[in-house]
Amino acid sequence: MSDTNSKPANGTFEPKIIGFLCNWCSYAGADKAGSQQTPQPPNVNVVRVMCSGRIDPQFVLKAFREGADGVIILACHPRDCHYKEGNYRAASRHRMLLQMLKQFGIDEARCRFDYVSAGEGERYIQLISETVESVRSLGPLQLA
Amino acid sequence: MGNKLGVYFCDCGTAITDKIDSAKIEAGLAAAGESVHFRRHELLCSEEGKQFLENDLRENGVERAVICACSPRDHEQTFMRCMGKAGCNPYLMQMVNVREQIAWVCEDRDQATAKAMRAVKAAIGRVKLHQPLEKKEIDICVDALIIGGGPAGMRAALTIAESGRKAILVEKEPVLGGMPVRYEDTFPRMECAPCMLEPMMAEILHGEHAEHIEILTMAEVVETVGSYGNFTVTIHQRPRYVDAQKCIGCGECTAPCPAESPNPFNFGMGSKKAMSFPFAGALPNLTFLDESVCLRFAKNEPCKICQEACPVEGAVNFKDAPRTMQRTVGAIILAVGAQLYDCSNLPQLGFGKLPEVYTSAQFERLISSTGPTSGEIKTQAGEVPRSIAIVHCVGSLDSEHKSYCSGVCCQVAFKFNHLIGKRVPEAKIVHYFKELVTPGKEEFELRREAEHSANTTMIRYQQIRDLEVVSEQGRTAIRHKGGIARPVDMVVLCPALIGPEDAAKLCTMLETNVDGAGFLEELHGRMNSAQSKIKGIYLAGTCQAPGDIQKAMNQGMAAAGYVLSGLVPGRKLEISPVRAIVDEERCSGCRVCGSICPYKAINFDTEKKVSRVNEVLCQGCGTCVAACPAGSIWGNHFTNDEIFAEIEGMLK
Repeated sequence: MSDTNSKPANGTFEPKIIGFLCNWCSYAGADKAGSQQTPQPPNVNVVRVMCSGRIDPQFVLKAFREGADGVIILACHPRDCHYKEGNYRAASRHRMLLQMLKQFGIDEARCRFDYVSAGEGERYIQLISETVESVRSLGPLQLA
Repeated sequence: MGNKLGVYFCDCGTAITDKIDSAKIEAGLAAAGESVHFRRHELLCSEEGKQFLENDLRENGVERAVICACSPRDHEQTFMRCMGKAGCNPYLMQMVNVREQIAWVCEDRDQATAKAMRAVKAAIGRVKLHQPLEKKEIDICVDALIIGGGPAGMRAALTIAESGRKAILVEKEPVLGGMPVRYEDTFPRMECAPCMLEPMMAEILHGEHAEHIEILTMAEVVETVGSYGNFTVTIHQRPRYVDAQKCIGCGECTAPCPAESPNPFNFGMGSKKAMSFPFAGALPNLTFLDESVCLRFAKNEPCKICQEACPVEGAVNFKDAPRTMQRTVGAIILAVGAQLYDCSNLPQLGFGKLPEVYTSAQFERLISSTGPTSGEIKTQAGEVPRSIAIVHCVGSLDSEHKSYCSGVCCQVAFKFNHLIGKRVPEAKIVHYFKELVTPGKEEFELRREAEHSANTTMIRYQQIRDLEVVSEQGRTAIRHKGGIARPVDMVVLCPALIGPEDAAKLCTMLETNVDGAGFLEELHGRMNSAQSKIKGIYLAGTCQAPGDIQKAMNQGMAAAGYVLSGLVPGRKLEISPVRAIVDEERCSGCRVCGSICPYKAINFDTEKKVSRVNEVLCQGCGTCVAACPAGSIWGNHFTNDEIFAEIEGMLK
């Protein structure tokens, strides 16, 4: 498998992105962004889990295999995890995952990990906007 | 109940339909070959809407439902209840958050509808795999164990006993009341601490509800097994050598006792007999024998003077022995208190080297009528001091020591200022402080009094190392920033409050945590400071954070409130089915799950060599599910297959 840069010539590529969000912080942050009713790119499809610690690296691989161009994992900020430390597990699994993705030839920028609190609606919008743009610039994921 | 799959679309007034075309969703599902029962409603969370949902589920034989509405954080519980009322299993439902995360944030109606379509397909794929789950109920014990007999622990014990349940109060000292009972006067109103606390102690010892309180002094909890609702605790009690049932508290045994040692209840000042009260008026009103000092035990001499002096046959019992006992409780309240920062960590302040340097706790005992000088402020040489220096912020607000402010020491310092002014009116007092912190509706008065006193001088220092306490020509003196040393007769250091001495030991036993500052870590600093992160273990008083008597009392009450509301007689403990389950057939016994579970909810069965999840402790985060290298942990309601189906649906 390799991630060859094949940006469509017409520049209208809309990346498909899966967002894995934890119930207590980042999903609540996404709801907060919704309550503010500020437009955001529609490319991120959210899968809610109770804790970012539940995010199995297989979920990310599954998303790429099913056609996602990018993945964003959002956890509670350090020290804020509802379940004490699931976010630290998620962070270290993400680091490991990047090593694996590299071996599959998938650009690291396609799998972002970050933190969003329940109050950070603006930050949620900013993070997903950045991710959409960076994945857009990489073009569609092509798995050989 | 039939086997249909229902899709319910809530218009949310117009909040959702403004951006999402439900007719297109319905048509799209039909075109995709999904055979679903599709219904629209203008406001599904309204009373009428809920009734509609319940009836529709029942009348159409719907088994599983997808509800396209607001965030599940808003109404998942509401719709789960509707499912239940309709006779469906509430877990056979999946919400699609089309309002917050789609309608409100997409500019384009077509885009929004397309995105909603993907989310609905994902939810349909997922809900088809949902397992019917049931809440489980287990029997509970409604009694509580309280560790620590200070203000917080006493308040908690009394409150629990008043409700008619049993409270087991374990105190490691021979006396109840914690630290404040050793203080004569308390800020901000100079009330006498024993006068405030003794009526409460009398309630605990002999009051209407005393029969519900088991007081175990000189005792420590050495082991706890089990979890919320059902803890089995092992308590070890040291021998007192005085029979609590027989002793009348006359104290005849004390005076003739020939062995003496420095008095730990006066923080090393003065002396106490091997057979003695901790201090005059200590409750319970019983003497105790300190075997490390007693000639009979420490020196193996045949002394029995105390026994001979005792007017009650058998009250002094040399054959008393350590006792180990077990109790069952549903909850544990930790109220073990705090301690003072060790001033010998700041050697330039002379504590432990210069005789006239005292800690605030020692000074409390000096001004207490039950203390070593019977409340007279005197130097070691027995003279009335003409000048006293009070140093605030000792070890506080200092990255080399403790970086926080304890918030109570300034008030203690200004209380000393007031009492010195009353008892030695001619004495000059100088305060050295880094910051002054006196918030509260009553707490500023003592500071105002000090600042307006002609005998009081306030000097601000930057760093504690700018201060030095020295002995010059046999006289104590304090020097600021290398200047001229100011002679003083006494120096009182007001050190930071620090976490409890046995915090680490307790936390190892109970699986709770010590926080960055050294105190017992609460579930949430603002929202749940009387709860630890372990279900059923609560925190009260200064073991959680520095504070005063008011806070300790309130937190004791709060912790008791959690026990009273969480463990109700006649009610069972409800356990959410959203939790992890180990497939014991496939478990390889590697124990990775146990090492990462944030709630220590996974035990290892050493016989079968498999891990097992404690269903009471498991909070359903799923961290172990993702970590299991054998894939043998099942995350109820968030299974791999369910999430895979959701991902597929999103991307199809």
